[in-house]
Amino acid sequence: MISIRKLEKIFDSARGPVRAVGGIDLEVAQGEFMVLLGPSGCGKTTTLRCVAGLERPEGGSIEIDGELVDSAAGGAYVPPERRDIGMVFQSYAVWPHLNVFQNVVLPLTEGQRRIPRSEVRERALEALRLVRLDGLEERPVTDLSGGQQQRVALARAVVTRPKVLLMDEPLSNLDARLRDQMRDELRRIAESVNVTSLYVTHDQAEALSLGDRVCVMNEGEILQLATPKEVYSEPPNLFVARFVGEMNFLPARVVDAGRVESGLGTIKCAVPPGCAPGAAVTLGIRPEHIGIAMGESPAGMRGQVLRQTYLGDALHCQVQVGEVELTVKAVGDAEYGRGDTVAISLPEKNWHVFPET
Amino acid sequence: MRLPRLNGQVSPLLPIALAPMGLVTVFILVIVWVSFQTGTLGTAHSTYTLENYRDVLGDSEIYGVVWNTLWFACSTVFFALIIGLPIAWLTERTTIPGKPAIYVIMTLGLLIPGIFVAMGWTFIAHPRIGFINRWLVDLLALDDGPINIATPLGMGFVQGLNLAPLAFILTTQMFRAMNPMLEEAARTAGMSAAATLRRVTLPLAGPAILAAVIYIFIVGIATFDVPAVIGLGNRVYLFSTYLFTLTFPEDMEPRYGITGAVGVLMILVALALTAWYGRVLQKGNRYQVITGKGYRPKMLDLGGWNWAAWAMIGFYAVLSKLVPIALVGFIAFAPYVAPPSLEMWEQLSLNNFYNVNWELVWRGMKHTLILMLVVPVLALVCAFAISWLVVRTRSRGRYALEFGAFLPHTVPELLFAIGALLVALFVLKDYVPLYGTVWLIALVYLVTRLPFATRALNGALLQIHKELEEAAYVSGLTMLRANRRVLLPLLRPTLMSVWIWTALLVYREVTVAVFLATESNITLTAVVWSYWAAAGMTEASVVTTLMILFFSPLLLLFWIFGRRSALAEQ
Ligand SMILES: Nc1ncnc2c1ncn2[C@@H]1O[C@H](COP(=O)(O)OP(=O)(O)OP(=O)(O)O)[C@@H](O)[C@H]1O
Ligand SMILES: [Mg+2]
Repeated sequence: MISIRKLEKIFDSARGPVRAVGGIDLEVAQGEFMVLLGPSGCGKTTTLRCVAGLERPEGGSIEIDGELVDSAAGGAYVPPERRDIGMVFQSYAVWPHLNVFQNVVLPLTEGQRRIPRSEVRERALEALRLVRLDGLEERPVTDLSGGQQQRVALARAVVTRPKVLLMDEPLSNLDARLRDQMRDELRRIAESVNVTSLYVTHDQAEALSLGDRVCVMNEGEILQLATPKEVYSEPPNLFVARFVGEMNFLPARVVDAGRVESGLGTIKCAVPPGCAPGAAVTLGIRPEHIGIAMGESPAGMRGQVLRQTYLGDALHCQVQVGEVELTVKAVGDAEYGRGDTVAISLPEKNWHVFPET
Repeated sequence: MRLPRLNGQVSPLLPIALAPMGLVTVFILVIVWVSFQTGTLGTAHSTYTLENYRDVLGDSEIYGVVWNTLWFACSTVFFALIIGLPIAWLTERTTIPGKPAIYVIMTLGLLIPGIFVAMGWTFIAHPRIGFINRWLVDLLALDDGPINIATPLGMGFVQGLNLAPLAFILTTQMFRAMNPMLEEAARTAGMSAAATLRRVTLPLAGPAILAAVIYIFIVGIATFDVPAVIGLGNRVYLFSTYLFTLTFPEDMEPRYGITGAVGVLMILVALALTAWYGRVLQKGNRYQVITGKGYRPKMLDLGGWNWAAWAMIGFYAVLSKLVPIALVGFIAFAPYVAPPSLEMWEQLSLNNFYNVNWELVWRGMKHTLILMLVVPVLALVCAFAISWLVVRTRSRGRYALEFGAFLPHTVPELLFAIGALLVALFVLKDYVPLYGTVWLIALVYLVTRLPFATRALNGALLQIHKELEEAAYVSGLTMLRANRRVLLPLLRPTLMSVWIWTALLVYREVTVAVFLATESNITLTAVVWSYWAAAGMTEASVVTTLMILFFSPLLLLFWIFGRRSALAEQ
């Protein structure tokens, strides 16, 4: 539905040109929910704005639904108003001089995708029902709460029934509880109108829970493009591993294809091909993948609890194992106290090995 | 110019933004061009030469003029600041009651034409006809009036009264932005109140005050109305009035080359001062400490001094507006110029009203009205184009646009008037018959009103998040519709206030009108001036009185729609 090829965007700034997007390729299938995830300044918003037509790229091309909408090589440029898109802005950008209903209606009456007058009201109410704002039509938008304004923005974006829905951190201004709530709503709405979504966020939890696929970006480049499960379980490099979820890291050296030498001794794990024996690597293991039990066990290693953080549904323990400090996540109502001796097990299959770059 | 939305095309706003820039450039360049020519300009009989400069610099009269102008400008600055600065401090930093009333007085001060005040002060303190002098002569049996307003110092005093509101507005912002915590920090660091004032407050306030000084000085050196009303009849010449006599000599052919040369000298001075002004402003901005939300400067409680402060403000209002205007009103009904007395009171009549050429007044009113309707619209359209390009695009050309729109703020309108006159006479004469039309005046007004309108719109546009517009584009609205349905409604309050403020300033403008007016495009203020210059003081007073009467409903409009943002932007 959306296909981005070799997209490149360069900004002129006072300190010379800034390469905000460095030639990325991205295909989003019809009906797919694609999340762009990355740290601040990595070029997510810029990519989204190029798709919307609010920014002209310096290189590459963009197609929406088979139509070439922008090509830096020349030829095509379809301005935003003639692209079949809806967009939710980070600042919501609801029009403060109009009420809720007028905000939603404007694209239908004044836009390029306008519909017959007689259908306008029904369509607008339908969009408002979708975001559960029916009943508030006559309210000035400035009187709404942040979450409600966000829904107005969403209703406005979907009211024209666009093929593509673009969202730029729409939940970032909401408090945590509302964010969780709206996250589910967003998914529901995107599915119910069967729209192709491109969603920008820097919040990994949001990305993993929302996306059909997640595109992890850094410094204008795509580092990984995969399902949330793959992103979490098979990060291809250190950056993604650090950025998505939590992980313990320790330096190590390759012994052979099945073993590495580290501060925890020799560890069995799958060493990726291309790492010659003797090469420096970084080992990673997620806190919840480390087994922990009270007392000592002959199979595991011995550790000592340094401190613990209670999280409600889990307990994070800092455990000293040999010279290495590991974060371990213990679920359930296990209770470990400071100074307790615990048995640690590190399953072979849960290790990640990242070659040094 | 790179405009993201337009696929490499030039924005349709660009020509609109560039048009007034073109005018500014042409008006200035033509002065330079004319200054290097003698003979019949615009024909084959003109030659390029430096003679004009030689004549100007070789004429000893010019040095007297320079001296007078400096004197005048310095005293203007002195009186404006000595009145405006304390009042600004009082309103921003003390608990003085009736602050809205102070704003009213100061805003009125900006709007009431300086020429009226100058006329009033002529009646008060002119060496021959001034009432105070007449009283003193009678009282003390003197030969001559002891007080002479027709000196650079005296005229500077009157112009200082006129510009005190400007000093007030330029410095209130400084007092408002200055964070009192800095002063408190100095006090808690163990510095005495005096040391705090000397080491913290004044250095912080310095750039803003200096900027006000420079700006008022620039306005001062180019002031035409006050020195023309008071000084011309007494042959006391300043730059502006000297230029006037060169351009419109009574007894010979005008030598525009000389006008041009004097104009060029003035342009150089103005540009140098502008550069300095810009530097000082920048420094001042750096000092504007970012203040957090909910920051409220602590107000000084004046206690028993409140009445003294108000007495000073009241005295200023009486001296600068009430008495002069009342006297003009009195003279409008008096048979001849004489001090108010019981005897005179009985002779008041409507006779003067029959002596006024009503056809002329009617024409003046018509032209003033046309200008008040046309100029604000033109200024807003151009300012919108400029502001939008400056605020919403990233092209480097925007700095040039911003500078171009700022230039008329400090380059005196007098120069634009002369430039326009020369353009109409010698450049456009055969192609576009602009000379003697009200449109020529409109073009100069457009240029001179642009900086204010642009700055007001810049501020408003910056407040409107860019995404509000972009949301309209992605909702499928074309640029035109997005502007009409989203941007313009949001800008409406600013547009209204700029519109009204501009119209009011057009109403009161006199310098440009006098330089460009002929029989066929005379404005109301130019009518007043033409009566005054022809020694028709009573008739001039009649027209002035009428103008003030018409003014009141306009002021009311302003109060309803425009007051807040106009004051904030000045
Ligand atoms: N208008 C601009 N002019 C100059 N540089 C810009 C502009 N917009 C973005 N950039 C730069 O481009 C890079 C990418 O910006 P972008 O807004 O796409 O980041 P982002 O991934 O959306 O970050 P965030 O999560 O903070 O919103 C940044 O380095 C930014 O400084
Ligand atoms: Mg962003």
